[in-house]
Order: sequence, then structure tokens, then C-alpha cells
Amino acid sequence: MGKFGAFRILVYRDLQIRYAGTWLGYLWTLLDPLAMSVIYWFVFSYIVGSNSIGEQPYILFLLTGILSWTWFNGAVTDSARSLVVESKMVRSIAIPRFLWVIKSIGAKGVEFVFALPILVLISIIAKAEVSMQLLFIPLAFVVQFLLLTGIGLILAPLTVLARDTTNLLRILLRMTFYLTPIIYGISDIPAQFHTIAYLNPMTGIISMYRAGFWNDSNLITPIVFSIIISLIIFISGIVFFKKVERSVLKEV
Amino acid sequence: MSVVIEVKDIGVSFRRNRKRNFSIREMLLQQKNTSPKGEFWALRNINFEVKAGEAVGLMGANGEGKSTLLRLIAGVLLPDEGSVKVNGGVAPLIELTGGLKSDLTARDNISLVAGLHGLSRSEVRNRFDSIVEFAEVGDFLDTPVRHFSSGMQIRLGFSIVTSIDEPIILVDEALAVGDAAFREKCYIRMQDLLNQGKTLFLVSHKEKDLTEFCTRGLYLKNGSLAFDGALSEALSAYKKDVGGFHD
Repeated sequence: MGKFGAFRILVYRDLQIRYAGTWLGYLWTLLDPLAMSVIYWFVFSYIVGSNSIGEQPYILFLLTGILSWTWFNGAVTDSARSLVVESKMVRSIAIPRFLWVIKSIGAKGVEFVFALPILVLISIIAKAEVSMQLLFIPLAFVVQFLLLTGIGLILAPLTVLARDTTNLLRILLRMTFYLTPIIYGISDIPAQFHTIAYLNPMTGIISMYRAGFWNDSNLITPIVFSIIISLIIFISGIVFFKKVERSVLKEV
Repeated sequence: MSVVIEVKDIGVSFRRNRKRNFSIREMLLQQKNTSPKGEFWALRNINFEVKAGEAVGLMGANGEGKSTLLRLIAGVLLPDEGSVKVNGGVAPLIELTGGLKSDLTARDNISLVAGLHGLSRSEVRNRFDSIVEFAEVGDFLDTPVRHFSSGMQIRLGFSIVTSIDEPIILVDEALAVGDAAFREKCYIRMQDLLNQGKTLFLVSHKEKDLTEFCTRGLYLKNGSLAFDGALSEALSAYKKDVGGFHD
């Protein structure tokens, strides 16, 4: 059967498992990023009391970053564990192994897309101004998918071979959340650290999601950085996965 | 008659202590034909061909060899040396319950597992009833599989995989599962499949299974093929070395 057919079934299966037996089902996909955004909005707008962080409306600024981050976090975590969690199937059914990794990214990507209506809703309520730069969003999606694929193809074998990887990953993801311009903007970062910020591919990706709502004079630099770095990670992932696949199959 | 399974000079080596920490550098730079100390060859220089419609039984003492060879043919393990060529789709009776997701209902599981094994949606629809009937899970279609007994799960797994209609059947011990009555059904189904001209590659410890279905026997000893010929002779060679079968 075709790879795409198997991919579709696996993504559908992941989504089914996610929502099986829950009452709210799809609504959880909306609640998670929404709740996070509201908390940060409340903390930074009222408790910290700053309206110079990020952009206004701040809730929208947060949501654009957090939706993308939710996909990133979920996809990295799930794809890293994919071969271990599905080890029985990996050992008994001969479908291309990378599909197990990609299906996690796809399933979380579907959840991301299904959560976008919240973004539309909030931008209407907040009376946000939008521009043609909204068209960067599909590009951001593609670049993020490539980035996640590269990361997954590297982490999944590592997790099989060294189960500690999941613990390390949890810590790294927490750190990355704060080191990525999600609750703050690139302009909030001191100028000398901008280049380092651009080295984080999620910086440029999130800039692309935000481009339609706020015009930034220097949009091109982070975007180009994120595309190049995501491609490098993507290709590295493919090469790495191929090299270690044989060893991984023995240990899974 | 065409060759459906071609195994050429296969070698697979494993690390002796599977639990030791891995060095990423080792993995990336691993050369093909070296076997540094700390590794052993589970299989080496294995050569044989299986023609369409043959029923082959693989026997050997406990250890890595038999399942390893089966998984190479199934395509879920890659050889360190040599090549495996399989011409035709495979129905793998390996880890029968591995594909079932406990939170999903039997109904969902059937579609998903059958789909992953290559059945199109319409084919799944057509065979759904017979899969359910064979597994005897008709009353529990909308129950999450985690409420199934292990016997029911294994019957379901067996039923799904034997419904997928591929020309080659690979069996890792699980030729007949469940209680005595169900095992009878399994035997009958196996016989049906063989009568349709399918190729069987069976790994088993059970003399009864091997003699019932196989005409050719492969005897794996210490990672090499000690015998490849008529089943009865393979059995004698094996029994001579091992001193009887454990049934």
C-alpha cells in the first residue's frame, strides 16, 4: 500500500487515540493553547504590568506564538517516543520506519490547524488589523513541518537507543520555550543577541505566523535564517535516520 | 515455479550486552563486515530460496536465530551482510496483539490494523464481518480492546492478519492460538490458505505444527543452516542434536 495511505491511517489513528474516551474531544485542542495564552496574558499585562512587551493586542501576540509552540512541543515529544511506543508494530509490520515519526508530526499538525479558528475568533474580537502578510502562514507551516521532521528523525532513533533521551528532552523543551520569542518579541531582545535568536529556527517561523498582524521592518533576516536552518536539520535528520536504522531495528 | 523468498549470504550481528549505553559515534561509523568483540553473529552465511506455494518450517534451539531470520524476511530487520529479496506481499503472524490499541474499540482496531497491513477501505468493509465472525468478537465490537481478555485480543489479531490475503504467510510460533476449539479453527484456516497456493514460512517449536503443514525443513544451528531439505529429515537432525522435542 502507498506510503501516503499508511501515513493517513496512522495520523487518523493517533487522533482517534488522543480523543478516545474523552468527553470534550476536539475542544481540548482549543483549550490547551487558549488557557496558556490567557495565563501569560494575565501575568504579563496585569501582574508584571507591562504593555511594552511583544505587540498589541497582546493576547493575539501570545496566541500566535503559543499555537505554533504547542505543535512544536507536542510533535517533538511524540515523534521522539514514536518508535518506542509503537515498538511492537515496528517489529512486526514492514512499513517504512520514518512513517512512525512523521505521523506524530502530522497528527499534531492537524490539531494545530484545527486550533486556528481560535486565532480567527480572537483576532475578530480584538479587532486586529491584518495584512497580505498573512500569506506567510502557509510557508511557516511548511518550514515548521520540515524542521519537526528533521528533529523527529534524529530524536526517535536516539530515544530507542538511549531511553534517557525523553528526560533530557523534557528539560530542553522547557528551556527552548523561554528562549524562543513566544511571550516576548524579537524587539524585546537586546540587539547584540538578535543573531543568536535567529539561530533558533522557531524564531523566524513564529515571525512568519505573526507577520500578517504586525509589520516588522526586519522580517527577512529571521525568516531566511529559519528556512536555512530548518532545511539543514531536515537533511541531517534524513541522513542520520538512514545511517542508524539498522541498529535501531535491532534494539526496538 | 517462481522464487518468492531469496536469502543470499545473510549475516546479522547483535551486541552481546544489549543494555549497554550506546555511543552515537559508533553507530554512525559502523562498518559493515566487522564484528568487534562484544558482538556476536546471530546468523551468518545463510543461503536458501523458497518457491511459490512451498511450506517451509524453520526449527532450531532457542536463541536469536529463528525469529531473527523470520524478521529479516518480514522486512522488519535489516541484514548486516547479504540480502533478502521477497517477491510478493507478506502476512506477518508476528506479535499478533501488537497492533491493537487498547483505548480504541474492536471496530476501530480492525479498520486500522487491516488498513496498515494494506487493505483498502472497501476491502476492509467487505471482510469486516468475516473477521469479526472468525474472531468471535461480534458482541464486543464497540468495546475498547483493553476490556478484552488476552485470548480475545490474540484471536482478533490472528483473524485480522489472516484475512489480508497476501501470497506469503510468515508465522512466528503463532500458528494456532487460543483455546482448543479456536485452535482447530486456526488449523482449518491455515489449511485453506495453503490450499489457495500461498507460501508458508513457519517458525515453530511444535512438532505437530511443523509436520502438519510443512514439507520442507530448515534447521538453524549456531546461526548457520545445518540442514535444508525434507521436513522429516530436518526434524531428525534437530532431534538428534537436541534429544527430543518440547511440545
